[in-house]
Amino acid sequence: MNATLVRNDFLRAPVQATARPAGFKEWHHFVVHARGVRLLINFSLNNETRLAPRVIVIAHDAKWTGAIERFDERALNVSADLGDLIIGDNRMTVLPDGYRVVIDLPDKDIRGELHFTSASRPFVVRNQPLGNGRINWLFVPRLRANGWLRACGREHRLEDDLAYHDHNWGRFRWGDDFGWTWGTILPTRAGDPWSMVFMQTTDRSRLHNLSQALYVWHHDEPAAIFRHAAVQTRSHGRLGRAPDGTLPPPMRLLLDGEVPGVPELIDITATRAGDRVHAEFHAHSYVRIAQPSEVSLDRSTVLCETGGTARASGTINDEDFDFVGTGVFEFLYG
Amino acid sequence: MAERISSLLRRSVEHLQDEVPDSYDLLVAKLGTMVVELDVDGEVFSLSVDDRLAVQDGATQTAGVRIVTSRITILDLLDARVGLGEAVEAGTVSVHGSLDNVQRAHDSLLAYVHAAVRASTQPGLLAELRTGAP
Repeated sequence: MNATLVRNDFLRAPVQATARPAGFKEWHHFVVHARGVRLLINFSLNNETRLAPRVIVIAHDAKWTGAIERFDERALNVSADLGDLIIGDNRMTVLPDGYRVVIDLPDKDIRGELHFTSASRPFVVRNQPLGNGRINWLFVPRLRANGWLRACGREHRLEDDLAYHDHNWGRFRWGDDFGWTWGTILPTRAGDPWSMVFMQTTDRSRLHNLSQALYVWHHDEPAAIFRHAAVQTRSHGRLGRAPDGTLPPPMRLLLDGEVPGVPELIDITATRAGDRVHAEFHAHSYVRIAQPSEVSLDRSTVLCETGGTARASGTINDEDFDFVGTGVFEFLYG
Repeated sequence: MAERISSLLRRSVEHLQDEVPDSYDLLVAKLGTMVVELDVDGEVFSLSVDDRLAVQDGATQTAGVRIVTSRITILDLLDARVGLGEAVEAGTVSVHGSLDNVQRAHDSLLAYVHAAVRASTQPGLLAELRTGAP
């Protein structure tokens, strides 16, 4: 497992963004499903006219709060072995057994040190179409998070809390003809061995699915992967509350009220070769992360980071399961 | 002493022309021939298009729209503590003009924000705007 992680999870930007910089993007994303708290940490590189590094930290206990800090290109440093990403005083290191993340955003009163230990085999998905571009992503469905994070006046202590990680890279443009729904589901009971990741890409209007999959891990191994027609999803309702906030805050001037909103319930059914899964994600609250469209001068791309509860049941490899847990889903509107 | 709002706006649009020329051109097209007069905490100035966007100190007799607000309200809007519609309802932003001109001013404001969020120089100007807040 560890060899797979270090062999696959390294920065692509120094080579790919230099060779053909137009549209190149890369980010490392961490989600912590702690008791009563969700934490999202993101180190990203977005090639605008030049490579723009950003660090995003958002946390949810009573409500979603956080910050996006954008840095000058000179604040970016990548180690020679492509395993260290440094943005200002923030650092993400790929370790043989996981990741070490140091956050230091003094202007936003956000600091932290977290150690993520991989508890599941990573998986790589290559060349997924996004509009006229492509994205590759590596994910680790389950990790253990230890450490601390102080954000917006609250300190969160992590002790073996469950977490999720993904690393994305590719060339595409925000605002191109695509949308996505992505989610991590982890059980509330720490000893429960099941982990799930859901991904669905669509066109911008969400009328056509481009790709979809439900990934189910049992302990540290893939137990079942359901793709395309093996997966059925239904969205129900619209969450009847406004977003907790918009980041970066000036983007709220461009987004009216509660648009685009998030579904109240996502229902996922997957069947294949005798395996079947039924998962439900009930949204509770969300925060909007918005960025300018790269396709249109007067449009924005909005990611709704949504926290909620989940329940999953089914049979895989003749083993029945039924667990309740937490989910963090991201709805991207182009 | 804090930099005047008119000076910050003048520097802002100059940067936009240089950094994001397509967005700047869209802003110029949206504003067209209309003159917008602003009164921010009693500092009166106007925004109009000559051969390019120009910020002029003082009152004008040719304004299509007059907007009265405060530095603290502008910061509340930029920090998302209040929405634009709420600020207008609360009277912390007041807008005077014909309906067509108010609509054009609104479209121009959106074009300005779309340009500003695409330009890396603008966060620095926002930090300078904060230094003058009470």
